Amino acid sequence: MARMRIRVRVPKRSKMRLGSLSRPMLFTWFMLAGFILLFVPQNLTNNFQFAFTRVFRWPLTIGRNISLYARTRRSAPGTTNRKESQYQNYIANLEEQLRQKHREVEELSKLRDRFHALENAGFVVADVIRSSIERAHCELTIYCRKEHGLAKGQFVLGDNSIIGTISDVSAPNAKVRLFTDPASKIPVRIGKLNIDKVMQGSGNDSAKIQLLSTKHKVNVGDKVVARKKPGFLDASMIIGTVARCRRDDANPLLWDITVKPVCDIERLNSVTVIIMNPQD
Amino acid sequence: MRWFRFAVFISLVTVLQASLLLDIIAVTRLGIKPNLLLILLVFFAIYCNTTDAIITSFIIGFAADISIGSAMGSQTISFGLFGTALAYLHRVIAIKNYPYQSLAIFITALLAGTLAHFLALLKGQPPIPNIYTAILGTALYSAIVGPFLFLPTAWWMRIRTHRFSRH
Repeated sequence: MARMRIRVRVPKRSKMRLGSLSRPMLFTWFMLAGFILLFVPQNLTNNFQFAFTRVFRWPLTIGRNISLYARTRRSAPGTTNRKESQYQNYIANLEEQLRQKHREVEELSKLRDRFHALENAGFVVADVIRSSIERAHCELTIYCRKEHGLAKGQFVLGDNSIIGTISDVSAPNAKVRLFTDPASKIPVRIGKLNIDKVMQGSGNDSAKIQLLSTKHKVNVGDKVVARKKPGFLDASMIIGTVARCRRDDANPLLWDITVKPVCDIERLNSVTVIIMNPQD
Repeated sequence: MRWFRFAVFISLVTVLQASLLLDIIAVTRLGIKPNLLLILLVFFAIYCNTTDAIITSFIIGFAADISIGSAMGSQTISFGLFGTALAYLHRVIAIKNYPYQSLAIFITALLAGTLAHFLALLKGQPPIPNIYTAILGTALYSAIVGPFLFLPTAWWMRIRTHRFSRH
């Protein structure tokens, strides 16, 4: 009896499966990878972001410059000149240093003056590659030409004023957490008040100073200076000005003070990192 | 799926999203701008087969993490989850018209943004002020702009958008 061979064509399932991996397994593996990324410490996963900025440094810088150029063209006439703002901040720093000197002379009358300002500091100029200012996560990614000595916590200057601190380093790149970032807390002093308070970022290019009693007189426009921090900042430096001062809604006996930066952080093309006691 | 074209295209869009070039078209004081990566997520979930959609969703999520996100992994998970869900949903409900595509982008942006925010909080990131306004604004802006970007994306990826099929 003759046998008939019948070939049955079965539709290929290559589109249903990826090798031997089914869709649910594929999804599970990707989810697992996502959760590993999520729970691995931030300082390790930051390397991905640094690598991205390193690889695409030029297009990112070009895009940023185009964006800034477009904004500059749109900005209203009469906006403070950048050079003017630099001089104003420089003068404010000198005034603050002078005031500090006077205080020390008064308080430590016959003791030796120990105010060294930033004589022992080293300065590292860095280019701004990426900036995130208006969003709630306020930070800059910078590229340091001289990478030696960069460390977490170092203060960063923009147009002669403090703009934030180094939050992560992956030489030659580093992240600067701006003082307007919600995670930033910096001890400050307002105007001529002799009280230290902590300023916390509130996003959207501003920071808040709270828990200051209303018995102290605070005016809009008062200068806010970052307090010196041993090993990181040897002299107080200007960080912002009081943009709004009103009674706290929750506690009317306290001020709710909004501080704005004294320089246009978004327009900064380069910043300076203060390295105290540099090795070389 | 043309993976080389996909890699080049995603790299370009990621750089564009990270370079602040989109700030030119940002609106309101919060700087709300469309999320191009999210628009692409919806595009690939609609026009690719389910397996490709799962892979592209996670890759786009990872791209969003390195370009936008502060807490790594949060966008990968949320984009991957909702991209996959949308791809499966597309097998049941066809999302071919502009209004439906806009609605898909809007809902995906809302859900993915909210989940990414909660995952970032879980990782210990500080709470972000006005985050829900920003998520809503971005979802709305992306939903308006999104369907118009589908055509150039389809041209680059050599995907026929008028084909009616559910994989």
